[in-house]
Amino acid sequence: MIEVSGVWKLFGDASEAALAAIRSEGIGKSEVLERFNVVVGVADVNLDVQRGEIFCVMGLSGSGKSTLVRHFNRLLDPTAGSITIDGTDVTALSPTALRSFRNKTIGMVFQNFALLPHRSVIDNVAMPLEIRGVNKNARLRQAASILDVVELGAWGNKFAHELSGGMQQRVGLARALAADPDVLLMDEPFSALDPLIRRQLQDEFVRLSASLKKTTVFITHDLDEAVRVGDRIAIMRDGRVVQIGTAEDIVMNPADDYVADFVAGISRLKIMRAHAVMQTIDAWQASGGSLTADAPRQPADEPLSTLITLAIDNDSPIVIEEDGRDVGVVTRSDILRTIIEGAEVS
Amino acid sequence: MNRLDEPSVLLGGETAANALAAERRNRVPQFVRTHTDYYTRQFEHIGNRSGFTPTFNMMAGLLGSIWFGARGLWNWAVMFLIIEVVGFVQIARGLFGDLAAGARERVASIENTLELRRQQLASAIESGSDKIAVYERTVKSLEDNIGGIRLEAQAMEEQGVWIALSGLVVLFLVKLVQALVANTALERRFSDWLSDPTVRHGMPTRDSVLAAIFVVVILVTAMLHYSFPGSIALLSEFPTLPSIRLTAISVVEGFFSFAVLHGEVLFDAITRGIRLLLDTLELVFVQTPWIVIASFIILLTWLSAGVSTAIFSGAFLAYMGLLGFWDKAMTTLALLGTAACLSIIIGIPLGMFAARRPRFYSAIQPIMDFMQTMPAFVFMIPVIAFFGTGKPAAVVTTMIFGGTPVVRLTVLGLRGVPEHVREAAVSFGASKWYLLTRVDLPLAAPSIRAGINQTIMLSLAMVVVASLIGAKGLGEDVLEALQYANVGQGILAGFAILFCAMILDRIVQGARK
Repeated sequence: MIEVSGVWKLFGDASEAALAAIRSEGIGKSEVLERFNVVVGVADVNLDVQRGEIFCVMGLSGSGKSTLVRHFNRLLDPTAGSITIDGTDVTALSPTALRSFRNKTIGMVFQNFALLPHRSVIDNVAMPLEIRGVNKNARLRQAASILDVVELGAWGNKFAHELSGGMQQRVGLARALAADPDVLLMDEPFSALDPLIRRQLQDEFVRLSASLKKTTVFITHDLDEAVRVGDRIAIMRDGRVVQIGTAEDIVMNPADDYVADFVAGISRLKIMRAHAVMQTIDAWQASGGSLTADAPRQPADEPLSTLITLAIDNDSPIVIEEDGRDVGVVTRSDILRTIIEGAEVS
Repeated sequence: MNRLDEPSVLLGGETAANALAAERRNRVPQFVRTHTDYYTRQFEHIGNRSGFTPTFNMMAGLLGSIWFGARGLWNWAVMFLIIEVVGFVQIARGLFGDLAAGARERVASIENTLELRRQQLASAIESGSDKIAVYERTVKSLEDNIGGIRLEAQAMEEQGVWIALSGLVVLFLVKLVQALVANTALERRFSDWLSDPTVRHGMPTRDSVLAAIFVVVILVTAMLHYSFPGSIALLSEFPTLPSIRLTAISVVEGFFSFAVLHGEVLFDAITRGIRLLLDTLELVFVQTPWIVIASFIILLTWLSAGVSTAIFSGAFLAYMGLLGFWDKAMTTLALLGTAACLSIIIGIPLGMFAARRPRFYSAIQPIMDFMQTMPAFVFMIPVIAFFGTGKPAAVVTTMIFGGTPVVRLTVLGLRGVPEHVREAAVSFGASKWYLLTRVDLPLAAPSIRAGINQTIMLSLAMVVVASLIGAKGLGEDVLEALQYANVGQGILAGFAILFCAMILDRIVQGARK
């Protein structure tokens, strides 16, 4: 759906020359700043986002994640590289085509909501349709139905600034959905909210996107959020993508020390699945273990937390099955070992 | 040992604390360059005390402002230099100065008169005139007078020692202060330098030489001038070149006469445009029956600012009507309205254009400063040259003075539109026109409205000045009252202007809510 290849973004007057120097001499970020007075925002990013998936881009502030995502609707022009969304080469769009593309294909949600304070909630939600030139009654009907989806149906006539932060961000989400875009870009949408509201909105968002099935690029600096929301996660550092994978991939096989440090604090209970905890049937039998017929059985993608609950009540090891075959065994000691490994790192 | 007045260093921070102290110590030599050991010790000492710690820096005391200048502490140097100059001048004046010069001049002039009178007396005695007694009295009183002034001169000459002594005391005290504060000032500069390496440090030759020359030149000229007044003519008067001024005047005049001659078409067009608007507004305000205008104004204030303000504005209008200011007030409003309308029509688009073009804005900013600060009487001269006297010239003068706030506040308002809101609109495919009309202008509206308000108020302030070049209206009454010192009329007309301003302000400002 979204194909990003070789995207570079350098800020500064001499960005072309700096990019040439980076490519030919391989100089680093600080040297580029020193020699060309050019800041590297995004460095050689390649990624593919599948249709309907929630793709998290994660990194600390200054890692280039917001910069990267702003290329998808060309709020920023890349210095080099190409971005294709649903077959459209975004970088080649003319100004008019770009406006229509932004309006129809992409909806964006912003960290600080970015609502128009002098307009009512429903007018804010209807804004993309207004820009498209939809007549007033039609766009208000559409906006009202979307507002109902985010459970703000009764608030349409209030001014945006009268709402709480959480509600404002729901308005922001409704506005992004109003034009029924194929792609949602969410730029740290829940970062400005307090933790309780944030959890609530994350859950709501996950439910909502399960039914809407929009391709979503979700930026966050919070790994817990990325794990909770994302199907896949890309971790960025200094403008580069250092690892792409599912939450489990990243937690189990961090690409480098930086990622390892990052994931150290994450709770393994929700992320780890049975196939990562188990020992194979052969290994189990080789070490003299036996299988009882009444042993509990679980599929291979069951999270660790379910296995723990089972292991508390059952003394016998849990048999893990995949495609109807028994593939492995999880004992209490396997579970405990997994947990302690996670704890040691953190 | 745990002393109560000292915060105990947190556990584990000990090494970091030591490292910082060492870093500070090690960098002192790099900062001071000379006498490194001395300053390291002094800075350490100052750091160990809270509050001001007097230390004694002999060199700073001896060299004074030169030391401070050479160390780059220029603000201290300049302050000390002023006091030093006072001290030195007093000493020089006391020792070498001719303190009684003034008194002696007076003695000399009286002596001349006395001589004359004596001759007159002598000739009177010779001719046996009856004025002998009169002349004798005059001579006597002049002689007494001279005696008094002589005594005064003598006393003044004796004061010389004391003046010199007071100068010496001042000098001694300032040297003492210099020696005491020098290290503290330098230590503070050192702390600044640690965070900002561009701060002056060491003893740059440039600063040292500059300080020495500066101090010597100032001291020598000041002492020369006060000790031997008039000995060097150059010191007492700024050398002028009358020819430069004459040429400058003729160049400026030449430019304006050229502009008047060749810009006639342009100025005529502007005049005609202003006239058109002005005549229309005058027709509306002056020719319409007063009752229509008054009820319209009251309605307008009621709509925008509420009932109580409407009642007030009704009272204000009654004041103008009953005291016979109605027609004049309407003429003023027409004039003012024309100026304000034109300012707004030009100003808001200009502000919109300038808001996102910083270079253009910084280019027009000095022009706007010029328009606002140049005294009205100065730009009235060329305005009269271009437009002649009369109402169009008054409108132009008013626009020059009052037209800038609307531009400035439009720019301010547009720049204050949050960038993320604009970005959001762009991300949904907004065109430039949509961005301007639906995002920028509504969000900047409060600021723009404040600008319009400011422009109207400033224009009103020009009413009296505008009446100088032939604009009729309330200003004329004030001007007339000024010419004939007619307090009553002046104050009443002044109030009428004030009420106009208040009504306009409420109409514009009320809508801001």
